[in-house]
Amino acid sequence: MTTDSDQATLWEAPSPAPRILRVTDLNRRVRALLDGDPALADVWVEGEVSQPSYPPSGHCFFTLKDAASQVKAVLFREELARATIRPEHGMQVICHGKVRAYEPQGTYQVYVESITPAGAGDLHQQYEALRARLAAEGLFEAGRKRALPRWPRRIGVVTSPVGVVWRDIGNVLRRRYPIGELVLSPSIVQGPTAAGAIVRALERLVAEQGVDLVILARGGGSLEDLWSFNDERVVRAVVASPVPVVVGVGHESDVTLADFAADLRAPTPSAAAEQAVPDLAQFPAILDRLRDRASAALVGRLADRRGFLSQEGRALGRLLPDTSAARQRAAELLDRGHRALGGRTARERATLTGLADGLRALSPVATLERGYAVARLGDGSIVRDPRQVSVGDGLEVVVARGTLSTRVETTSEGNEELLR
Amino acid sequence: MTEPTSADDLAARPFDELVGELQRIVQALEAGNLPLEESIARYKDALRLHAAAEARLRDAELTISQLGRGLDAATEEAEPGEGGS
Repeated sequence: MTTDSDQATLWEAPSPAPRILRVTDLNRRVRALLDGDPALADVWVEGEVSQPSYPPSGHCFFTLKDAASQVKAVLFREELARATIRPEHGMQVICHGKVRAYEPQGTYQVYVESITPAGAGDLHQQYEALRARLAAEGLFEAGRKRALPRWPRRIGVVTSPVGVVWRDIGNVLRRRYPIGELVLSPSIVQGPTAAGAIVRALERLVAEQGVDLVILARGGGSLEDLWSFNDERVVRAVVASPVPVVVGVGHESDVTLADFAADLRAPTPSAAAEQAVPDLAQFPAILDRLRDRASAALVGRLADRRGFLSQEGRALGRLLPDTSAARQRAAELLDRGHRALGGRTARERATLTGLADGLRALSPVATLERGYAVARLGDGSIVRDPRQVSVGDGLEVVVARGTLSTRVETTSEGNEELLR
Repeated sequence: MTEPTSADDLAARPFDELVGELQRIVQALEAGNLPLEESIARYKDALRLHAAAEARLRDAELTISQLGRGLDAATEEAEPGEGGS
């Protein structure tokens, strides 16, 4: 009965005509399916090499198999040249690469980026082999390392957005260098897909954000945890970065290949943050000291004992009330201040700040700002007595923010005018 | 030597430029070969630069941003190995 009704449906109400694909379309569709799977873009697969072939193209084609299954694999010439081993029949290997469909033949295969011996090739051996190869290429040479910018404006960080490392870096920068700008490019930092993620995070950072400096960091862990920092792609991305890279991975004793490639290697993530920027905590004292030196230079300019001062300078100096005692005190304080700066204690800084305020009050500028003025004759001499001038003489009057040209209309002695 | 003109100008200039400018003025003043009026003008510049740099330090607050939470961040797993909380 069911057969009858199925037959009836099939003949009486045919479904819409099936969509007929060309082979090319089919293969393209399968390929797109594989390309769309991020896990297949970054696979590690272990197996036995079978029937490797080395055609004149320089590539190596082989089959990777275990007891139950097999898959085709290709190791292109460039990757083969970088590999520490040459695939041979029967060899147990671990391949790292991506899985792609090969449309012309309707097959899929592993495109191998790196190949290492399985079992016998423990991590330490792999590390040493890769280190030696990259060192031979010159990637770790001191001459490649770039100086860090002294005052970075934007600092990029590649690390995990969760966990203490990112928080520590933020805290260090907040304390030492709050005038900066910190940009996180988040990445996973362990596991088989971490290396690719780190490379992408680095590239995204320098491409999009115009940073002057990058910190690449990860907290401590086992050799396996830190393994992505020994990945050749990460090492090359650090070398290729257009801006200097500071690497701080794990603890003091952990040295990854990324550390060797860094422009600056820091023992820990926090140390990386510290070494990336100057410590602004010292700058209030440095600024005060500069200001005090400016004050001292100006006071020195005005001091009689210098001897070479202009007449104006001396006259301005005399305008200052009771200057000799104050100046001597200022000089003593200044000397003490300079000695004190060595120790940089808070008390000494306070003394110095007081001194600078004193010096500022002493400067003729401050006096002029209070409303005093200096009257000069055409020959530059300073007028202190009405008897120095006659009605009609030209006078130059210097005030805080400029000079006036005037003419004497009347003269009278005494200065009750000012007190009125 | 760039002239620090207005307070706005100073506020817009990077901190290291303010400090560098202040250093240059101090050196010029200490060299002692500027005319007096120039010395006074430079001294006033120095005070303004000092105040601007000090204000910058006092008010500075670290700017933090994060690049778009793409696939990499979204697939983030907890990392016990890092001891994070």
